[in-house]
Amino acid sequence: MITRAEERVRRPMPTEPLTRPGGDGDGPSKPDVKRPDTNELLKRMRRIDPEQARRYRQRSGE
Amino acid sequence: MLNLRVKIEYNVLVNRLLGIETEYGLYVEGRGVADQVMEAIGLLRSCPFPAIKGCWDYRLEDPRRDMRGFRVEHLAVDPQDAQIEREHPISLSDREARSDHVLTNGARLYNDHAHPEYATPECRRLMDLIAYDKAGERTLLACARAYQEKIGATVKLYKNNTDYHGSSYGTHESYLLRRDVPFDTLASTMTPFLTTRPIYAGAGKVGVEVNPNPRVPYQISQRADFYMDTMNVETLYRRPIFNTRDEPHARMRDYRRLHVICGDANMSEYATALKVGATALVLDLLEDGWAADLIVVDPVRAAQILSREPDGKWLVETDKGIISAIDVQRLYLQAAQTRFAGRDAETDWVLSEWETVLNLLETDPELLGDRLDWIAKRQLLSLFAESEGVALDDATMIALDLAYHDIDPAEGLYYALVEQGRMRTLTSEEAVQHAMHHPPADTRAAIRGLCVQRYAAQVESINWERIVLRNEEQSVRLDLSLLTGNLRDLNRRLTAAVDITEFVNLLQSPRRASEPHKEA
Repeated sequence: MITRAEERVRRPMPTEPLTRPGGDGDGPSKPDVKRPDTNELLKRMRRIDPEQARRYRQRSGE
Repeated sequence: MLNLRVKIEYNVLVNRLLGIETEYGLYVEGRGVADQVMEAIGLLRSCPFPAIKGCWDYRLEDPRRDMRGFRVEHLAVDPQDAQIEREHPISLSDREARSDHVLTNGARLYNDHAHPEYATPECRRLMDLIAYDKAGERTLLACARAYQEKIGATVKLYKNNTDYHGSSYGTHESYLLRRDVPFDTLASTMTPFLTTRPIYAGAGKVGVEVNPNPRVPYQISQRADFYMDTMNVETLYRRPIFNTRDEPHARMRDYRRLHVICGDANMSEYATALKVGATALVLDLLEDGWAADLIVVDPVRAAQILSREPDGKWLVETDKGIISAIDVQRLYLQAAQTRFAGRDAETDWVLSEWETVLNLLETDPELLGDRLDWIAKRQLLSLFAESEGVALDDATMIALDLAYHDIDPAEGLYYALVEQGRMRTLTSEEAVQHAMHHPPADTRAAIRGLCVQRYAAQVESINWERIVLRNEEQSVRLDLSLLTGNLRDLNRRLTAAVDITEFVNLLQSPRRASEPHKEA
């Protein structure tokens, strides 16, 4: 077995449709419209109350 | 909206019963941990759907029985949680506190240690399980909305496993398997697999809760911080990677239940399907006589290092030398490919996706941001950090992390990704809505579901493997412990039964006895 973990890379969130890594075999059908931009995501994230995590305390479960 | 739904024809069933039980995080505006038991009860009692309530039969449960052949005196409890119980005692009967519901789809809904828990009905198809897991989210969302309306305060539910302050709660998977797989082989084969599985099954987490030194901004797994032991029977504290609870919920002589407690709650349907599908294939391997010839040195430490190095090399120390976690997974994948490729469509889907994911984790993991939770969430957080000029370990990020797991599609960040077509999904909203109210057609869950739909007033007690009905002034015990096979034909006949007497007779007839191992 060959370990090539050092080749693992990070890239930013794509703003355009992804090219499906599996080619044209099994998998989802290719989106037929352009991927929306990230503004809507950012809008929803800005609506999150930053204090919510501080308030969020739970009993330990299983 | 984009459509990234995967369309696959599943014409063959997996060969075992599967289930997922999820304890949800509960937030009620203005209330604290000392109130959480009562809030969980209040939420469950607001369930707007038909159910059998308060009849769960605990007599067949024994969480202290260990697969290694003994029974522990008591189970460990979290010291912090024990202190809350001492300081804020609640005077309720077990029945009141548990608030058990059995739903028309055969699922169980109840209060488990102050968390509303949804246990899916038993499924045989992987894609059924995905729909029933999502049905649990929708069911609990309906409960939360009803409770919010009732009390006039914000109620939120999170499908995650931590409060980021040191308290964890579980998402457990159940897999029925043959008892003739020796315990030692089961444990030694599953442990390296489960230790490394979070590389695709992790839900991602901002920060570290246990031993936060050195500081880690982001982890792959929510649960890894809480592993304390390689193997034991515990679930509330000293949580292990391999849980040894011996509670098959089927005939003990024939079956074991692999009770996986080390996994994360996945929002991603794809991640759920891959983790459950791969795990089921490893059990297929074991039942086929295969065993992994690999020992991970100190699995707890290995899992925690893996989790805390999302961009690391993921090297694991084993008795065969240092191996990457990806290659540990490949060991299992290759054995499964050799034996099971071409067996059925669902198996081929799992094999193909498992291979693709491992390859991409090695070469270009960010491409998996449309499939794996830990990568999708980190991409979201990175987007926000870059846009707002804050660091990835800023306190705001924990709030965003939590919001990823908000089960309200209008609020949750995972659902924002789905709405934008950025996540691959495997089921449809129609299938999820159907799953909320109808049981799987081919498992014993349908018998439970029929009892809720038609004979609720006659149910004296109910659980996974036994139902006691009142019929003609007599208590009739229905044993489901052997009904582990494909029950599609039996369920069809039960559905057509004209009354409870015919229903009972069908389940007690000699003909039924031949059903358990009959396959489609």
